[in-house]
Amino acid sequence: MPLFRFELRKLLLNKKTLLLLLCLFVLYSVVGLTSTMFLIGGNDSYRAYEEQAAAWEGPLDSERAAEAEAIYQEVSARYGTDSRMIARSVKDQPEIILAVNYHAYAERVEEYWNGTPPESAEEPYGIALLQGKIGSLESQGKQDSFVYRELSAALQRLKELGEPRFANALLWENLFGNWGEHMMQFLLFVPLTFVIAPVFAVERSSGMDNLILSARNGRRKIVTAKLLSALAASTVVVALYLAATFLLGFLPHGSFHGWDAAIQSIPAYTRSMFRFKVWQLAAVGAAWLIFTGAVYSLIICFISSRMKSQMGAAGVSLAVLFVNVGLAAMGDAVAQRLGPLVDFGLANVTLMKEVFGGYKVFDVFGMCVSYPGLAILVLAAVAAAAALGAYRGQKSRAVA
Amino acid sequence: MELQLDAVMKNYKSKQVLKGITLTMGTGVYGLLGPNGAGKTTMIRMLADVLRPTKGRILYDGKDIRDLGDAYRAKIGYLPQDVSFYGDFTGRDYLEYSAALKGMEKARAKRRIEELARSVGLWEDLKRNCTAYSGGMQRRLGIAQALLDDPEILILDEPTSGLDPHERIKFRNIISAYAKDRLVLLSTHIVSDVEQIAAQIMMMEHGHIRHIHTGGEYVHMMEGRVWLVEMPADRLVDFQNQAVISNVRAKDGCMEVRIIEEAKPFPDAVQAMPTLEDAYLYLFNYLPEKARR
Repeated sequence: MPLFRFELRKLLLNKKTLLLLLCLFVLYSVVGLTSTMFLIGGNDSYRAYEEQAAAWEGPLDSERAAEAEAIYQEVSARYGTDSRMIARSVKDQPEIILAVNYHAYAERVEEYWNGTPPESAEEPYGIALLQGKIGSLESQGKQDSFVYRELSAALQRLKELGEPRFANALLWENLFGNWGEHMMQFLLFVPLTFVIAPVFAVERSSGMDNLILSARNGRRKIVTAKLLSALAASTVVVALYLAATFLLGFLPHGSFHGWDAAIQSIPAYTRSMFRFKVWQLAAVGAAWLIFTGAVYSLIICFISSRMKSQMGAAGVSLAVLFVNVGLAAMGDAVAQRLGPLVDFGLANVTLMKEVFGGYKVFDVFGMCVSYPGLAILVLAAVAAAAALGAYRGQKSRAVA
Repeated sequence: MELQLDAVMKNYKSKQVLKGITLTMGTGVYGLLGPNGAGKTTMIRMLADVLRPTKGRILYDGKDIRDLGDAYRAKIGYLPQDVSFYGDFTGRDYLEYSAALKGMEKARAKRRIEELARSVGLWEDLKRNCTAYSGGMQRRLGIAQALLDDPEILILDEPTSGLDPHERIKFRNIISAYAKDRLVLLSTHIVSDVEQIAAQIMMMEHGHIRHIHTGGEYVHMMEGRVWLVEMPADRLVDFQNQAVISNVRAKDGCMEVRIIEEAKPFPDAVQAMPTLEDAYLYLFNYLPEKARR
């Protein structure tokens, strides 16, 4: 415990890092605030949107869908088809934003029933499409195949979830955007790298290795203390990000409306097969970010234990992160070829949208294992290997 | 208690730094003397278990220290050549951190920190940031750290560098009192540090322990090999490159020169009382010089 206290102080509770954390909190607050401000106009606009949307919430109303379609056509002719761009262009006209959002919702309902185009490279989605594929497999006598079981399970879950309902979860949608898109990886994981990178490397650059390696607790307990302090530091940094984007995302409009809607109401999570409410997804997403941040921190710890300088450790850690981001951004053809390397790479696995936003299962010894389930196993294995590597490194470490 | 080096070798790539050292040490103070690059620090680091031998073993009471691991490290106190500090640690933080590394119980650590801080004269400065300490204060803090857990084996690498004469004497007294039933290994360039307190003095060169004797034996070995001669300053300039001179002192308008030489160098030279420093110069300067002649 005393060692952990000192290690935490060296890594986190010192003037330099606390100043960095303060700067990060300001940065994250600005990110949270600006993303909300660009979402819709001032507080009055949001209030008007909330009031109008209250009447539109619920299952699909075809009359309203037609009305929204007409408005959408008019607006998209002027501002293009990107819904975010439209929202930013007409952010002081909540009725138009609502119509555009309802139009997008109607399209999602259509997709729920009829599914993605057969030529799409995406995971198959939609009642009719799944039924068609299942029927085709049955006619080929492939009822025992993994694909058949996967599609059947997807169809069953889709039926259980039912048709998506329209809900005003605008601010939550914005929050999940901040928590689950690539920008987060730069805003969160890059600073995290610089906070954690010194954990082992600092002893070499400061010359303290002599004292540590010759001490009774300098080979094992110190590693435990360092790993725990890295986990604590990563939790603090991630929590800072979560708290700042959460508070500043909701504070300007003073509303948590949509907290108990199903996550299928949020465009990015329409295809999710998880029966989460919005607030539950927020909790799971926060826990997921803390978990993945912790795994990344342990990877940095391992790298740091092998490096002679803090900057070297930070550089290699960032290279690992960016290679993962690069691989994930290489398009479907490359992603399909690399398969698990992309699925379980840091870039994808840290994005809650990727993990919880769709329906992806893996064939593990004939069992259907969900993406989050397998991701937890893979990340736990990576974390354990990194921790073990750090212990082994310290055991055989010698002064330069 | 016995600490043994069994044919210990250390190579850095193609360079052989330690060349098969075999040595046994019991309780008492051991001085380790040798020129720069002799391998003293490498040997010290291996005994402190912060460096591993390329070949050979280090045994504590017959057991390999690598097998003993934490149990061996629990018995040692180590002051490295360069004491380093974290930027925002006070003297007390540094000692408390050291105590945590050594696995000391909190109350005992607190008591020992107070005792040692008073003993090395840092009690008033414990609240100050240790990077703001003078070189001597940092060294004393390092000494306190090494003594913190009352180690059975105390390994000190250049412990007195940066200490003023008073601090050095105080340090010697601390070590003398400490070494009663323990092993203290003290590596230094400063011959007088070990001359006073070391029971055995090891002379090391080119990765070998060349000699292990008591201080008295070294002095005895030098009897008849240390000479005093007076000469004018201009003659000294010519002469100093031809002989091993251990000291020069201005005296009555000329120079009194202390020369290491096996035979009487000048008819008017007189024998002087030898010291350990003379022996050091004889072994590391005179003999190699003579071999080259």
